[in-house]
Amino acid sequence: MLNKTKINKALFVSVTALMLPIAAQAEWQRSYVIEWNEPAMYFAGEAGIEGPGSDCPQGVNPEQDWVDVLMRAGYTREEAEWLRNPANPTRSPTHGQNQMAFRGKDRANVYVNPTSYPDPGLYPMTGNVAEGLNLDGNTDTGFVSPSGEAGIDNTFYKTLGCWKTYRGPERLSSGAMQFNDGMRNGSWTMVIVVSGEGDDPSNDDNVMVGFYMSQDNMVKGGDGNISPHYTYRIQPHARYEGLFPARTVNGVIESREPTPVVLRDPGYTRDLELLQAQIKLEMKDDGTLRGYVGGYRPWLPVYQGWVNARGPVIESLTWVELPSVYYALRRGADYHPDGSSEENTHISYALRVDALPAFVMTPDASEVATQVISYKDQAPPLPAESGPMVGRSRIIDGLVIDPNAEYQAGPNAVILPPR
Amino acid sequence: MKSARLFVLTLSVGVVLHVAAHSTVVIADDSTLATHKEPVVVAVRRLTEPQYRQSIEDIFGEDIQITGRFEPERREIGLLALGSATLSLTAAGFEQYFNLSLDISRQVFSEQMRHAVMPCAPASPAEFDRVCAEQFISTYGEQLFRRPLSSAEVEARLDAAALGTEQSGDFYTGLQLALSSMLTAPEYLFRIERAEPDPENADNWRLDAWSRASRLSYLFWNTSPDKELLAAARSGELHTENGLNAQVQRLSSSPRVQDGIQAFLVDMMQIDGFDSMIKDATIYPKFNQLVADSAQQQMIRTLVDLLVVKERDYREIFTSNETFLNRPLAAVYQVPFASSEEWAPYTFPDSAERSGIFSQIGFLSLYAHPGTSSPTIRGIKLHEIFLCEHTPEPPADVDFSSVVDSSAATSRERLLDHMSNPGCIVCHQRSDPPGLALEHFDGMGQLRKYENGQLIDVNADLFGNKFVGAQGLGQFLYNDPRASSCLVRNVYAYGAARMPGSAERPYINTQIERFAENGYRVPALFSQIALTPEFFNVVIPQGAQQNTNNVASAASAQ
Amino acid sequence: MSKKINRRSLLKGMLGGATVSLGLPMLNLFLNENGNAYADGSTIPTRFGTYFWGLGLTDTPAGGTRWVPQKTGFDYEITPELEAIAALKNKVSVFSGFRAIPDTRPNLVHWSGHASILSGVAPAASGRFDGATLDTKVADAIGGSTRFKVLDIDASVSRRPVSYSTRTGSTFASPDQSPLALYQRLFGEGFQDPNSENWAPDPAIMLRQSVLSAVTDQRHSLMRSVGHEDQIKLEQYFTSLREMENQLAVQLQRPEPRDACVLPRSPSELERAGSVDVVNSNTRVMARLLAMGLACDQSRVFNFVHTGGTSETYIAGQSKIYHQITHDEPTHAQLGYQPETSKLAGLVMEGFGAFLEELDAIKEGSGTLLDNCLVLAFSDTGYAKIHSLENIPMMLAGGAGGRHKAGQHIHAPGESVTRVSLTAMQLAGAPAGEFGTGSMRTARAVSDVIA
Repeated sequence: MLNKTKINKALFVSVTALMLPIAAQAEWQRSYVIEWNEPAMYFAGEAGIEGPGSDCPQGVNPEQDWVDVLMRAGYTREEAEWLRNPANPTRSPTHGQNQMAFRGKDRANVYVNPTSYPDPGLYPMTGNVAEGLNLDGNTDTGFVSPSGEAGIDNTFYKTLGCWKTYRGPERLSSGAMQFNDGMRNGSWTMVIVVSGEGDDPSNDDNVMVGFYMSQDNMVKGGDGNISPHYTYRIQPHARYEGLFPARTVNGVIESREPTPVVLRDPGYTRDLELLQAQIKLEMKDDGTLRGYVGGYRPWLPVYQGWVNARGPVIESLTWVELPSVYYALRRGADYHPDGSSEENTHISYALRVDALPAFVMTPDASEVATQVISYKDQAPPLPAESGPMVGRSRIIDGLVIDPNAEYQAGPNAVILPPR
Repeated sequence: MKSARLFVLTLSVGVVLHVAAHSTVVIADDSTLATHKEPVVVAVRRLTEPQYRQSIEDIFGEDIQITGRFEPERREIGLLALGSATLSLTAAGFEQYFNLSLDISRQVFSEQMRHAVMPCAPASPAEFDRVCAEQFISTYGEQLFRRPLSSAEVEARLDAAALGTEQSGDFYTGLQLALSSMLTAPEYLFRIERAEPDPENADNWRLDAWSRASRLSYLFWNTSPDKELLAAARSGELHTENGLNAQVQRLSSSPRVQDGIQAFLVDMMQIDGFDSMIKDATIYPKFNQLVADSAQQQMIRTLVDLLVVKERDYREIFTSNETFLNRPLAAVYQVPFASSEEWAPYTFPDSAERSGIFSQIGFLSLYAHPGTSSPTIRGIKLHEIFLCEHTPEPPADVDFSSVVDSSAATSRERLLDHMSNPGCIVCHQRSDPPGLALEHFDGMGQLRKYENGQLIDVNADLFGNKFVGAQGLGQFLYNDPRASSCLVRNVYAYGAARMPGSAERPYINTQIERFAENGYRVPALFSQIALTPEFFNVVIPQGAQQNTNNVASAASAQ
Repeated sequence: MSKKINRRSLLKGMLGGATVSLGLPMLNLFLNENGNAYADGSTIPTRFGTYFWGLGLTDTPAGGTRWVPQKTGFDYEITPELEAIAALKNKVSVFSGFRAIPDTRPNLVHWSGHASILSGVAPAASGRFDGATLDTKVADAIGGSTRFKVLDIDASVSRRPVSYSTRTGSTFASPDQSPLALYQRLFGEGFQDPNSENWAPDPAIMLRQSVLSAVTDQRHSLMRSVGHEDQIKLEQYFTSLREMENQLAVQLQRPEPRDACVLPRSPSELERAGSVDVVNSNTRVMARLLAMGLACDQSRVFNFVHTGGTSETYIAGQSKIYHQITHDEPTHAQLGYQPETSKLAGLVMEGFGAFLEELDAIKEGSGTLLDNCLVLAFSDTGYAKIHSLENIPMMLAGGAGGRHKAGQHIHAPGESVTRVSLTAMQLAGAPAGEFGTGSMRTARAVSDVIA
């Protein structure tokens, strides 16, 4: 049966509207949709996805023996085994095993009080090759790029590169797959507009690059890949937008000067806040765009992103104790804004971006967005902070709490059922 | 040009002869058979799926859900409307219609709906009320059968209703059976056209008033006659010039005329087959069902807007670059979609090479292979659809090995192989040139300039007529008088369910001239044809008279 | 007159184009020439069911597949995760590469996949479908004459009942969750013994006959005045009508004794545990009861859930549940897949193997009950680690009374899952010409498996 709604939304106008875009000041314009983006985690593994390599000689952080972990935190073996047995009613796989949170000093919740718990440690990344950008302009600090460029700043990779979530060849790490699959299925869309004032798009000293949100989903073709040349409307967003002054050199777009931006993070943090942000993006002959966005991102929201994704679930699925992520990021932080306290609050980071040619329109869809300008003043105010959610569940201190559950986790919970 | 004309002439004659040989028709005007008083059935045309759906919606309201599989239709001499006159029902099809009839009746007599439908209330809902049941059956029977029911037809349904009421203890359950039986009847599922002796000339037959009403209603609105039209049939008005004028005027000035003209255009332009279209996902990754559906919509919207809404010159379908786009189509055409609506009007620039309905991806992808274009198929379809020229099947003794083995870079070079084969050249010299003019469009209709690294040549030479690319082809078709004569014949055939015969050629020629005088406007053409007496010409089928006697005697013998 | 394109008429334009050319017509092939019995001479009805298991099968982007056979067409090779169906593979068609296409809808994890397969549309929100599920459409077509229009069975031993059958999209069926409950439903109070003496014809069938006789009454007056060609057409119409009458007449005759129908003994309550061994033995016991229920003609349509979308099953003695393992287990560097996940997938498929064995164990006519069933088996996801909607495993098991050309592997990457759904509906005898919306709308059944 044919569905009537197929037609119902159609609007007919008998006036013929000419849609040919008229260029304003820009001499040339390119636009793209990001079809894949992930933290630039160089993979020097010998084989497979999580396997060991020169960067992670021991492979990924190993799975924890959670009974041991709980016993170290002061639970008896009997209690620990009870908590880990899927047959037991105190354990809800949907909500994670909430009692796992209470293993800090005096059974504090380690997710919100990570320092109540000794640093369990993460496998460090020990290689000297990394992807990303030279953020500080200093070729003596940082890593060497796979192509031999010195001074690459990507401490985020050094810190978390051997965590299972992030480790793997391009497009194959579990974290990258999870978030990009969501993005490609419509969770969010980011588009890129490039405009220049010179005659030669490949070599132009006055280029602007804009990263914007769009409410229009990507569309997969018959082969399952994202189709190019779809049209996207810019959706003014009060937070997610990045405008980069740049130039092109032999078809590669490079930042002219660093700038602060906030993009949509392909991860639990959602806000990819970058200070001193720069780009290096190649406009390839096949029409695609590929490269990096780098900068210093605040590390605490990264940690909180993981906690708010439900601490117990993340710990058991990704095999790390979350406090170790907290300690590692704090240790690895390598930047703080001028004038702030001496402690480093930010960590150098790079996002690897693959984008397809696409049409990007101004928010009212009336014309092609030829100019890179800010649309923040057109954006609706951000919704009031409702606190973290997973699906329809509210997250409190890293946990989903079912108020009707017979057994509630907590510092004083009775673990074993009365005999 | 001379040789082309000659060739075409032979073909057209062939078509007419074919029809004539098939039905051994006798045109009423020449008939001396009309001495018999019994009306005769002159056409039996199965309702199309849209006609079935629209009739139910018009009669019972749009809340009725119609889910089912309809039997496939068949196109004859370019029209499904002609095929419908040759189709019956298989057992599978009958089962579907039967189940549909039960389902529709159940909905019509549901608690929520019955009050809106019933012309009366039964004395008791638990008992059979003959008067009320009869009122229902004759009221809705007339709408469904498009004529009043005979008393025997009413009686048969009353029996079913009475039995149903008795068995179920519910009057409405009984009526459900009566309604199901009408919905299952051949008088509903087929448009049965009847001729009667002309009272003004006993030697002549004429289409009876009810059949006239149906012919008009399906032509203009693609649905069953409404009450007003049935009333005009009942009063005999439809047989008068004034009465016919008034109804044609009313039907053609209603917004619903769009339904009728659209149904014709979809039929003639063969805008179907999108559900079963297959494209290789590796070669054409942008293809999916949504794109296919959109491409079909685009063709329909373009034609309806141009020909019905704007009432422009028919020939502009070959040259117009005005169309409608949605987001998936814009991506395939590689243009921005500058609208927040689902569809928006769009005008292609010259550089897009998109002018003419055949330059849209719907036509281009439908008439191509899953992984490559096909100049031959496109050429055959251009001739068939727009010029009414049908290409015979390839001869059985063709040696295809030399054709398929070609590894030449472009289609043109691959097709040259045909040209060296005398068995192929007869058809391919006609089919391939217009198809080659469309070679800038790949098998999904996407613009390209190169094939396998080689620049594509879109020059065409059709029996000395030279043109370049889609625009050149469009101009050629625009100027070709065969296009408008094809349309006129198709409108007639679509409405009357038969191709005009050779005796009607002068009539058709007159209609073609008037179509031109009226600025080639399609809505005007519909009215113009509907107002001619020839539109209601009848052909007494062979055997109808004998049957009248045979069946009549068989019936009385029982 | 000012005119605009009218929306309604465009819709009709679409319909006008809907000349379906594939896989049609079919129903006339099912019946023998007289239309009064099924092709093999028996009056054995075709049954339809769905079988669902959670968390897909193993096929990873890193290149490791554990279920997609290399060979397509008949006689496909048995892959490790298909081991459990090896003995019955000639009765099972395997469909790989099909995907759910949510268009503008999000991928609701462990939901969008099977919602698409069953209702033809990816829902807007978890916990709801945006349309009726296909089993209800099949039940409307073939399930009307039995005691239960549809049987819903959940073998998963989960906290909450799992059912994916809905007419409204919001209310889901209440399944029987234990063998005892299923036994009581089928063979407890109200059991109708098909072999009992007290058989009476269905009055509804007789009423349907009256519908047709009212039509045939008018045959003579219609045939009086038609030409030869129209006479042939109308004769065919009336022949088709007679076949329908014969079909109804068959239904009014006392059915052949159902030799296979033997009242089973009441099962004892099983252990309530969600480990995969318990779920599998539960599946076998409930499948056995279901099979006898079908043999005794208590129902002709069923939905069977082995494990839910977010499957809570686990290997007894292990602390991790299957769902967690799909997400957290690393991909083996050399093997290219997650070994433990694959092992569990194989165990879960053992449930399906047991299920099919039970249907195949009952003799019916010249074959088995399974030969007269069509079971659409499928999962919620392709690669479970990322909740992929690509390559969701689907199978059609059973002969559908000879209509299903079973035992094939159909590989169609990128095609919509709804094509398999439509195929299943048509094989089961539902009047479905098309299924699904948006990119998942299809009128193309997989004709390779239709006899």
